[in-house]
Amino acid sequence: MSELTIAVAKGRLQAATLERLGRVGIHADEESLASRRLWAGDREGRYRFIFVKPVDVPVYVEHGIADCGVVGRDVLLESEADLLQPLDLQLGRCRVVLASHKPELLSNGFGMLRVATKYPRITAQYFGARGIPVEIIELAGSVELAPVLGLSDCIVDLVETGRTLDENGLRVIEVILESTARLVVNRASFQLKAERVSQLIKALGESAKEES
Amino acid sequence: MRYYFGAEARLRRHVEDTAMSVFDGWSYEEITTPSVDYYDLFEFGMGHREAARAFRFTDTDGRMLALRPDVTSSVARAAATLLAGRARPLRLCYTGQVFRQQSPSHAQWRRESEQLGCEQIGSGQGAADIEMLTIAAEVLKRLKLHNRISITLNDVGIFNGVAGRLALDPVARDRMRHLIDIRDMEDLRRFLASYAQEEEAGAFARLVERPGKAEALAEARRLIKNTRSTEALARLERLWSVIEALGLTDQFEIDLGDLSGLDYYTGLTFKVYIEGIGTRAGSGGRYDHLTANFGRPEPAIGFVLDLDAITDALSRSSVFPPAQEPERAAERPSGDDLSALFVQALEQRAKGVRVRLDAKGAE
Repeated sequence: MSELTIAVAKGRLQAATLERLGRVGIHADEESLASRRLWAGDREGRYRFIFVKPVDVPVYVEHGIADCGVVGRDVLLESEADLLQPLDLQLGRCRVVLASHKPELLSNGFGMLRVATKYPRITAQYFGARGIPVEIIELAGSVELAPVLGLSDCIVDLVETGRTLDENGLRVIEVILESTARLVVNRASFQLKAERVSQLIKALGESAKEES
Repeated sequence: MRYYFGAEARLRRHVEDTAMSVFDGWSYEEITTPSVDYYDLFEFGMGHREAARAFRFTDTDGRMLALRPDVTSSVARAAATLLAGRARPLRLCYTGQVFRQQSPSHAQWRRESEQLGCEQIGSGQGAADIEMLTIAAEVLKRLKLHNRISITLNDVGIFNGVAGRLALDPVARDRMRHLIDIRDMEDLRRFLASYAQEEEAGAFARLVERPGKAEALAEARRLIKNTRSTEALARLERLWSVIEALGLTDQFEIDLGDLSGLDYYTGLTFKVYIEGIGTRAGSGGRYDHLTANFGRPEPAIGFVLDLDAITDALSRSSVFPPAQEPERAAERPSGDDLSALFVQALEQRAKGVRVRLDAKGAE
């Protein structure tokens, strides 16, 4: 039987994801992990892990190159990918927030707000639902810098502890959404590898319950 | 936007010919429908949400035209108008491109894709449902894909019965359907918690977690009691017992959580998945209300297979070896006398032999 391929988001979630998989008896080969290789097998040859940027996890899974993936809900909502999302792993809890150095931002009628963000879709949806016209400035990182230097009036960004915001003089104005890591599954794999996928969902589901 | 050439083009043609010959083998008559038609047709046929994906443009008189986003709408209209006088059931099949602007699945999004389809109009549930599934399975078997497929079965009546009991407004109903469709079990449970008195709905949440076979039906039977759902379950059970009798259970799954797709389905729905293809390779179902939109209500069922997805599945498999096949045999008449060359060539052609002219020196 062919192996099950799991796409793991590199960075913030990677260690926690591997630790959680380890807890249900799925261990990535340590030699590969220590190397710079972007994929690894498990000890029994039942799984293959690929390590990709968080935004690419939905892409690999939607195309069926990976059967499953672990990725934050923020990335998932932003990607609008057509995936199954059977499980909240209760990992890597964080928030997507609207933040600014101008606390009266929304009440003052600034005219056209400029918003810097890595999440253009979530941002457009949030302001769209409130009927507030905005200009969205898409950035790839260090978003907190944008209002400080006057590129934007505010930001929509991911916050874990809030320290980066603090140190750049920004305040949370509103929490847009809470995000934790989700297990996502390709639609075809869910059917064609039904047995193995549902075993994985079940095992991870139980461990997530212990966690919460 | 994609080109097919050489071995891949031949493979694609082979898939098309295989499907059409199986359709013919079950007495389905070929119909070709216009690729450009009035947009209204598709809005009637597919509903606003799906039809909105069509490429639209205006006719000289200002009426809205569209490149067809599906073939079923046109077939349903033909059945209700052009073919209204024909004996029922009508068995129609087609191969044709459809054009769509954006798909819910990015992986599946192609502006143009070719559908191989079958529709049976004028016969109620039962034999026609099984006929459709058998035909789809036969096409895939003739393409030697039968060990690599899963055809999932559901009946929309099961969800409709459960949701009906909750008396949801349309927005909440869409939300519940979406949560089931993406199998977001936790959010679904949270959603259903506000209907705590509805034990059945909670039980339903467990049923949609994973696909299964006969045992999935048995469990559903145990947990679900409302009339509408039970009727739908009975239909699926009858279907499954025939699938068992035909020895086809390896290729089929019951998946009560499969709710994506068009709103117009009224009974059985099914989806085709093939190993190596991350997206659906086909889908179908019963749409008993559609032809009423064209003035002649009658039961109908149909399905389409995605020619490009199936070609991809085959060209990646070992059954049909890809590009590097040896050059195909051909007679090679040659010479510098043009008349003699073509006399020779025509003689071979009259015998049905493949020729490849070598007119060296004759230009």
